[in-house]
Amino acid sequence: MNRNKTLWSLWRQNAETFPDREAIVHWSVGEEPIRWKWFDLINKARSFGRRLYENGIRQGEVCALIIRHNPDFYPLYMGIVAIGAIPAVLAYPNPRLHPDKFKAGLRGMSVHSGLDWILTESELAPQIRSLACEEGTTVRAILTPLENLERLEEPDIPEVAVSADQVCLLQHSSGTTGLQKAVALSHRTVIAHLENLAAAIKLESSDKIVSWLPLYHDMGLISSFHVPLGSNVPLVQMDPFEWVLAPSTLWEVIHEERGAVLWMPNFAFNILADRTREEDIEGFRFDSVRMLINCSEPVRKESIDRFLTRFAAYGIRPESMAASYAMAEVTFAATQTVPGKPPTILAVDRNVLAGGYAVPPNSDSPVRHCVSSGIPIPGCDLQIIDEQGNVLGEDRVGEIQIASESMFTGYRNRPDLTAEVLQKDWYASGDFGFVHDGEYYVIGRKKDLIIVAGKNLYPEDIEDAVSGIAGVLAGRVIAFGYEDIDLGTERVALVAETALTDRSELEKLIREIVETVMALDITLSKVILVVPRWLVKSSAGKPSRSATQARIAGNADNTGILLIQTFGNGGD
Amino acid sequence: MIEERLKAIILRALRLDDFTFHDDTKAFQVPGWDSLSHMVIIAAVEKEYGIRLRNVEIIKMKSVGDLQALINSKLHKGSG
Repeated sequence: MNRNKTLWSLWRQNAETFPDREAIVHWSVGEEPIRWKWFDLINKARSFGRRLYENGIRQGEVCALIIRHNPDFYPLYMGIVAIGAIPAVLAYPNPRLHPDKFKAGLRGMSVHSGLDWILTESELAPQIRSLACEEGTTVRAILTPLENLERLEEPDIPEVAVSADQVCLLQHSSGTTGLQKAVALSHRTVIAHLENLAAAIKLESSDKIVSWLPLYHDMGLISSFHVPLGSNVPLVQMDPFEWVLAPSTLWEVIHEERGAVLWMPNFAFNILADRTREEDIEGFRFDSVRMLINCSEPVRKESIDRFLTRFAAYGIRPESMAASYAMAEVTFAATQTVPGKPPTILAVDRNVLAGGYAVPPNSDSPVRHCVSSGIPIPGCDLQIIDEQGNVLGEDRVGEIQIASESMFTGYRNRPDLTAEVLQKDWYASGDFGFVHDGEYYVIGRKKDLIIVAGKNLYPEDIEDAVSGIAGVLAGRVIAFGYEDIDLGTERVALVAETALTDRSELEKLIREIVETVMALDITLSKVILVVPRWLVKSSAGKPSRSATQARIAGNADNTGILLIQTFGNGGD
Repeated sequence: MIEERLKAIILRALRLDDFTFHDDTKAFQVPGWDSLSHMVIIAAVEKEYGIRLRNVEIIKMKSVGDLQALINSKLHKGSG
């Protein structure tokens, strides 16, 4: 592949070479799929490019896309790239997220990363519109480019000279209290990644990628949008919202479309295994599935086992199980298991692992099964380092650092944050792991990030919201994630100090806490109210999440605990 | 009108002591009713009533009232 290409020139070439080949199949439950052929897709992208240009959008300007499952999303995104502007796909407002919180998140992004334009649906526009007038934001206008499609211009776009080193897209992290960062990627890095990832999974034109992943998530956007488009492999895109409500619809798509390659977070393996009813898949075959890549939250042995047991009879083979370690800062994948071979599962001594060494268990030691995330993909190097920055050898636990051809150019407008994680070509991931026989195993996180169902949550967002509730001692709140083996993901627990003691007042306070956090679109599964000064402070004087978790784990006599309530998933 | 039977199933699945459901109550208004617990509720409803909800029906549901109406129509069909 020519490394001086831009995404647009790559797509145009695909369209010229294979005008009648299917590029994207847009799937919605109960409806006839909409099938985009390359010729039509590229022409519509040109028309959208023209429309955006006539609206005043110019090269280098950031276009936030806030659009739900829509067949015209794809050419619109491509049209933005065609005129040299920068797309940034953002999560759409959903009823769970309080409108004020949604707006606060958007405002944070527009202040930090400099959103120039917001492209959305007419239905969502009123919610977003007032933002453009607010002080401090860079948003120039809210546009609804999917309106009046019958009046779409001729497919001719202005000639724009775009260099391969220019930023081609922004990938935002989530969050509602201004913690969002925008990862900036250039054409050169993204195209290099498409090539390297395709080589790592031996992607072929006969493959078909199926996805229900939202495109505002790096896994969705890169693996299941840019990879298929750049590699000229058809994509079948489902509605993420529909998948969540009825997960087994994925099987209909795989069966009908003969899906071959999929990326999914670990929890989806559990959900599909547990929530697919026999009649949902009666008569279906899934032999077409070549790789099911478990990615974006810790890969769990129990989830893979459960999935294989459930679907083996339908043609899912053990060797189709795959895993990858990925993050937006290196475009997407850093490691990938080898196609045709299931991830290696390594039994290690849990106690010794906590001390920093991965060694085989003795007959009487507790065992932890670590699932391999594979080997570095081409163009990527990894190393494990200790706290002093020394590179560690095999089987030693340390922080994972990555060097990649597809390294981000930085967090947009945040050189301070970039400098914290990027030093001399190495990106410090904040994840802990070890290497064994050349394969990488990710076992934990240095950061206090919580990953629920593949979605990153920041404890600070939750703590800030709860800290403002009357009855909770200000600043004396801790949120953390804990493992739920059954769901194959993490759940969120919260500990708060209060001076209240009356049982009914405590119950009322817990209800209020749960409802406050609901407004962030986050479900608390456990709330623990404790007496003042119960939380363990860090050396900086703030309540420490890890020390508090340790206290809960060791607090067998419940000293100082006023009330504990657990929620959700109580029945089956 | 949300029947006590449906209400009890939902409360049990969410481990809630009580909640007042109306026809137009949406899942996001109920503490703990997120996408993960939604699947648990659907499974519990199917088991308790001995009915099957199709994927397309699950996707089109907008409120607890819709769920009640769907249950009623399935039960009615089943007996008729």
